[in-house]
Amino acid sequence: MSGNGNNELLKVEHVTKLFGGLAAVNDVSFTVNSGEIKGLIGPNGAGKTTLFDLITGIQRPTSGKVYFKGIDVVGMRPDEITSLGMVRTFQTIKIFEGMSVIENVMVGRHSRTRTGLFSSGFLLPRSRKEELETFEHSMRILEMLGLETRAFDAGTNLPYGQQRLLELARALACEPEMLLLDEPAAGLNPYETQELTQLLERIKSDGVTLLVVEHNMGLVMNISDEVIVLDYGEIIARGAPEEVQNDPKVIEAYLGSGIGNAKG
Amino acid sequence: MVLIIVTLALKKSTGLQWILSGLTVGSIYALMAMGFSVIFSSTRVINFAQGEFSMLGGMLMYTFSNRAGIPALYSFILSVLIVTLIGAGFERLVIHPLKKPSVITIILITIGLSIFFRAAAKWIWGTDTLAIAPFSGDKPFKLLGATLVPQSLWIFGFTLLTVVLMFIFFNRTILGKGMRAAAENPEAATLVGVSPPATSLVAWTIAAALGASAGIIIAPIKFVSFDVGVMLGLKGFASAILGGLGYAPGAVVGGLSLGVLETIVAGVFPSGYKDAVAFLVLVIVLLLRPQGILGRQEKLE
Amino acid sequence: MKQSVEKSKVKAKRCENKYKNFAIASVLILIVPLWARFIPGNLIHMDIVNVMALAGIYSCAVIGLNLLIGYAGQISLGHAAFFGIGAYSVAILSTRYPGFPAWLGIIIGAIISCAISWIVGKPVLKLKGHYLAMATLGLGEIGFIFFREATGITKGTVGIIAIPPLSIFGIVIDSDFKIFYVVWITVLLLMLFSMNLIKSRFGRALRALHSSEIAAEAAGVNTSKYKTVVFVMSAVFTAVGGGLFAVFQRYVNPESFHFSVSILFITMVVVGGLGNLWGAVIGSIIITFLPSIISALPYWFPFMPESLTNFGNYTLVLYGILLIVFMIFMPKGIAYALEISYSSALRGMKRIRDRISAMRYTKRK
Repeated sequence: MSGNGNNELLKVEHVTKLFGGLAAVNDVSFTVNSGEIKGLIGPNGAGKTTLFDLITGIQRPTSGKVYFKGIDVVGMRPDEITSLGMVRTFQTIKIFEGMSVIENVMVGRHSRTRTGLFSSGFLLPRSRKEELETFEHSMRILEMLGLETRAFDAGTNLPYGQQRLLELARALACEPEMLLLDEPAAGLNPYETQELTQLLERIKSDGVTLLVVEHNMGLVMNISDEVIVLDYGEIIARGAPEEVQNDPKVIEAYLGSGIGNAKG
Repeated sequence: MVLIIVTLALKKSTGLQWILSGLTVGSIYALMAMGFSVIFSSTRVINFAQGEFSMLGGMLMYTFSNRAGIPALYSFILSVLIVTLIGAGFERLVIHPLKKPSVITIILITIGLSIFFRAAAKWIWGTDTLAIAPFSGDKPFKLLGATLVPQSLWIFGFTLLTVVLMFIFFNRTILGKGMRAAAENPEAATLVGVSPPATSLVAWTIAAALGASAGIIIAPIKFVSFDVGVMLGLKGFASAILGGLGYAPGAVVGGLSLGVLETIVAGVFPSGYKDAVAFLVLVIVLLLRPQGILGRQEKLE
Repeated sequence: MKQSVEKSKVKAKRCENKYKNFAIASVLILIVPLWARFIPGNLIHMDIVNVMALAGIYSCAVIGLNLLIGYAGQISLGHAAFFGIGAYSVAILSTRYPGFPAWLGIIIGAIISCAISWIVGKPVLKLKGHYLAMATLGLGEIGFIFFREATGITKGTVGIIAIPPLSIFGIVIDSDFKIFYVVWITVLLLMLFSMNLIKSRFGRALRALHSSEIAAEAAGVNTSKYKTVVFVMSAVFTAVGGGLFAVFQRYVNPESFHFSVSILFITMVVVGGLGNLWGAVIGSIIITFLPSIISALPYWFPFMPESLTNFGNYTLVLYGILLIVFMIFMPKGIAYALEISYSSALRGMKRIRDRISAMRYTKRK
């Protein structure tokens, strides 16, 4: 699956991001192996989303290296990183306005399709064939997530929980080897969270590696093979879910910042 | 650039003449730039009709002082007052009711406003270039070998006064400080009693007053016609960008430098290209310092 | 899987519908000169074919600009310069080198526009919102000042006169009737190309980056490339319009490429409907006819006092008001309003039909 022998899919080395002298992310190093689910937790403002931005090319680290499949991705554009097979979702939902549900997913196929300006403008047979393939692939993903009946509705008209799923569908359409999910369960009710858990397990069993930022401890502890805890931009603990949960430093970080749901 | 420096060195008095004339127009650009900055920093809106406020100011001044024979000082106050009311009225009637307008919406609406003002002015005053008498005679005098008209002194004085008043307003009054805070953080400003709608109204009022007075004090030197607002507005904006949009001292520095640069270029190159200076400056600054000038708010999510 | 195949069929049907509408609209436009010649000129006091041809010329630019503004969400206040590049290319080449084919001039104008917009577009489109607007405005004005001041090339404010007419396959396009067809066939081809484009991978990428550049990038779209390409495309469309403008007017001077013309294009986009391709055509037609209608008003209503009907040259006041009113009350433009009323009319018809058949059914009982 991973291509390189040592099974490391994502390798983050000493990554630091300074904002006007303040370190939002400070000397963070970790690896994610092919086929595992890694949880990334930490109190609000711990630097989790910034870390995601640094890994996926939206922001550039002040120092440090990020390797994906052995390729140095620092300085690459976000869309290049997506094409490599590392795809992210956003904490604040970004559904494309004015586009239907299926079109939203079809945008996700962008990096896996090739039709250009002229072949689509002149409607060459090649582009029509690819368009149909794109459509059917996207439809299959919607079916997998149970959104197929809403395919032709406006994406922004979906209820909140389904919008989260739609973001996930769009990311899956890129055929990722690795998914970075930024709080996928935020705003979901317990039932939806339950379904999401099963879905993530299924995505994992399809061979996709996952790095998940999540506040819902139940979900993280349930699915993760290993958990990393970030506080003030630094890794304060890492290990199996049970170990981390009982780590005094972790408990203090959460209680100290006033969010007492570490036991969730 | 080298050419300019060489020319300046060769003709010292000409150089000084250029700089002083440049500072005169530059002061006007600075006033315009402040108008842009005030609205932009408090509401993130670029008012494309800013130049039209000056045109209206000049036109009204002409009507009151030349046609109705009202003394200059009263004409000035009356003209500024009317334009200010128009500015405030537009904010209340059009800008204020829009809830979270997109950038394109706001650009097109203010462009629509400027077209409307220009066309209305053409309708009312015709296409003639109109002259307004200088505030205190037109007898030129010598200053360090350069020739100046008295109106230049009025312009320098008025600009200086305005800068001081603006500084006091934004640094010493509660409303002004609140408006600066509102630009940084609208929610926090609401807590101290400065609501964004109020900020927007005050900003438009100030900008209209600045625009009108700039248009009036330059009129005796440059004359006034229905279409002067376009260039004044664009150059004011170029100045604002040059100095750093949304930063009041920057507006002054930007305006003065653009004025001087333009006068020098007009002296060295065929004068038809003079107007291109402002646009070249505008484009180059925008391209070379995109991060520095791009709104923080647009960058971060 | 079976269901998705069903849906594909639904979608394919929609596509057919799209082409059916296109065909209807094309026929409606192309028959205009056929009926217009039967309306006596002294009845309506305007030359419909002539004005329509001009509207078609503007449509080329407006379709391009609509792709840029309405679909990709990137504003340009300087497109009059590309219109000028197209027009001056034809004018200069065909007056300096007698016998130079005008159609080749149009193509060369498009290529020059393409090159300039590519060089300029890449850095400028990094800017957003107001900054982009101002930078494009500045570039457009630099273009205008060039047209005005580079007298050696453009003959300055005097302009270039006596541009020879276009000729295609040996047919000299020397009447409004002929140029109408040249222009509108061009427009319809551009329209067809754009319609295919926006429903494709390319168009989805544009609409996606309009909504959120970061999310589009995360989905794999190279936003800076797509913004540049759509900018170049709109510049080329506009230059083609400009080239046609030169052979339509047969003279050019800088005034036709002033900032106010950029604004005219944008007014057409907005009145027609941002992000609505047919809107671009409808907006161009309405705004181009406006001055003719206004100047014809005194003839239409001779019984009304002239002060009420004679707006003379004050059309601009109306543009300003139109722009404000449309942005506030009808930001989706006329095309959208037409679409809504069309579909509600269809629904109304269906309801009436249903009721009639229901009545028949009960009667039979």
